[in-house]
Amino acid sequence: MNHSIMIMCEQSEGRILPVTYELIFCASLIADRYDSGITVVLPGNIAGADSISGADLLVINSPGLAEYTCEGWEKAALLAAEQIMPDIIIIAHTSTGYDYAPRVAALLEGGCITSVAGIEFIPDGIRYRRSGFHGKLDLLYKAGKPPLVITVLPGAFPANVQQAEPGTISYINAAIDPVFTSNLQFMIPDQSNTELEHAEVIIAAGKGIGKAENLQMIREMASCFSRSAIAGSRVACDNGWIEYNAQVGLTGKKVAPLLYVACGISGSMQHIVGMKDSKTVVSINRDPDVAIFRHSDICIVEELEKFIPEFIREAEKHTVKGKKQIPIY
Amino acid sequence: MKILVCIKQVPDQESRPTVNQAKTWAGYDENASYWINRYDEHAVEEALRIREMIPKTVVDIVSLGPERVKSAIKRCIEMGADRGFHLYYDHDDYLSPSIKSRLIAEFCKNQEYDLILTGVMSEDMMSGQTGPMIAARLGVPSAASVIKLEINPEKQSIQVERELDSGHRCSMELLLPALVAVQSGINRPRYPSLSNVMRAKNTEITEIRGTVSTSAYEYETVERISEVGFNRTGIRLEGTPAEKAAALWQLLHEKFLL
Repeated sequence: MNHSIMIMCEQSEGRILPVTYELIFCASLIADRYDSGITVVLPGNIAGADSISGADLLVINSPGLAEYTCEGWEKAALLAAEQIMPDIIIIAHTSTGYDYAPRVAALLEGGCITSVAGIEFIPDGIRYRRSGFHGKLDLLYKAGKPPLVITVLPGAFPANVQQAEPGTISYINAAIDPVFTSNLQFMIPDQSNTELEHAEVIIAAGKGIGKAENLQMIREMASCFSRSAIAGSRVACDNGWIEYNAQVGLTGKKVAPLLYVACGISGSMQHIVGMKDSKTVVSINRDPDVAIFRHSDICIVEELEKFIPEFIREAEKHTVKGKKQIPIY
Repeated sequence: MKILVCIKQVPDQESRPTVNQAKTWAGYDENASYWINRYDEHAVEEALRIREMIPKTVVDIVSLGPERVKSAIKRCIEMGADRGFHLYYDHDDYLSPSIKSRLIAEFCKNQEYDLILTGVMSEDMMSGQTGPMIAARLGVPSAASVIKLEINPEKQSIQVERELDSGHRCSMELLLPALVAVQSGINRPRYPSLSNVMRAKNTEITEIRGTVSTSAYEYETVERISEVGFNRTGIRLEGTPAEKAAALWQLLHEKFLL
């Protein structure tokens, strides 16, 4: 069996983003086994292409590819696919990837698997792993008729750093011009949160806290630890309980504290991506099957309103009067 | 203006899925409760807000699934939507978003919608495919993860703000007709008003059955389902809340975290 693999280079402002090397690593696992060819497609002339090894490069030059548009990237991917005739198209599961990847799959009449977390090999082929059912179950997918488009979660594979033979480089001069879409403005809102970035202990609130009033309990729990900060899941931020600059996850911040305490957080892949590098993870949830327990060192099946006040009492018991730890938030 | 909102009915997050005997899919028992996918509820709210701004706007709802999804469609009508369409499809195995988008795009073909709204993904499967695929099949532009939108009736366009990685944003203009997949946090969905609840009682939901054969396609399939493996030790603390609290304190103390 021989597979042809196409990778869409992930870029920002004309530079290759590191996730591209993770995609190359993922592709190389398949290539090593099936003697496949890998082609990395660069929409537009992107700096740093010489850092890519172990794959051929296909640069698509077009004035319309100066910056990302869904339409432009879709057209570039279709044009490249016409030339490469790939069995598998690998795209990063980022805000650009999930914007256009399903469209490419639909237009090529191929299957599509998004937020892939791993690949497995069995005697008759490749299987793609992602979680589903609120993150409670692992799903192993099989491709249908090629091509198959997959989007790979950032961080799912290590970045390819091995120095392999540089491949060939070819160019297509195209006239891709987005007609339905025009970019207006790129914005970088101030989302800095130094407390969270420097915290050694993060107490994070999720949907399970239920109401804004319960945030007090989360704050009190945080004050039991030194160098602590509070954070939240996407739902906690959407509900206005936690500021967006303290959101942990794929669309928020990536954190890696010594201790991460998830209070009433279900643990979707989107959230896990943001906190999986924490040294110790403690989760408190009333649902015994909740996905976050699979990513925790210590699991507590309990109502937050019952457990957290007990924990605060316990911590106070051990605190010498006047020596209470001062939180930094 | 004619707006379509595509919604999915999803099981309650705390309901427990049971893997079928062949280990190819999972289902829920009769005690499971279902609701409108949270992201789609934001899409419904956004459509209703557009109708408040632009006179003569019609808001349609479409959902694909078994009989029970009618209750989700009805809930949208109670929120204020005008009409509901149910694409009847009863399945107890994996249904590829490629097929779902095909069925919904087929439904859209003769309806001439100016704007199609969906949630950015579903809460349970989180694929985020169906929306952009519908747009591709209809040949219209789309934008995913939108946290702000505004219609420009003169220019027949929609201006959207997309959420990018690490909190960045970008704004862009799409010519109508277009599809916009909204991110949560774009608005606060309303509760149904009494008058709309009364109106919904008399609003018929149009059921549409079997317009496209789905067996002709060979898309991806789910071959095996298993419990998610443990990535960490996952020690469970036992006892009363006070005992668990004492045990946690002790464990964290031993790790010098307290």
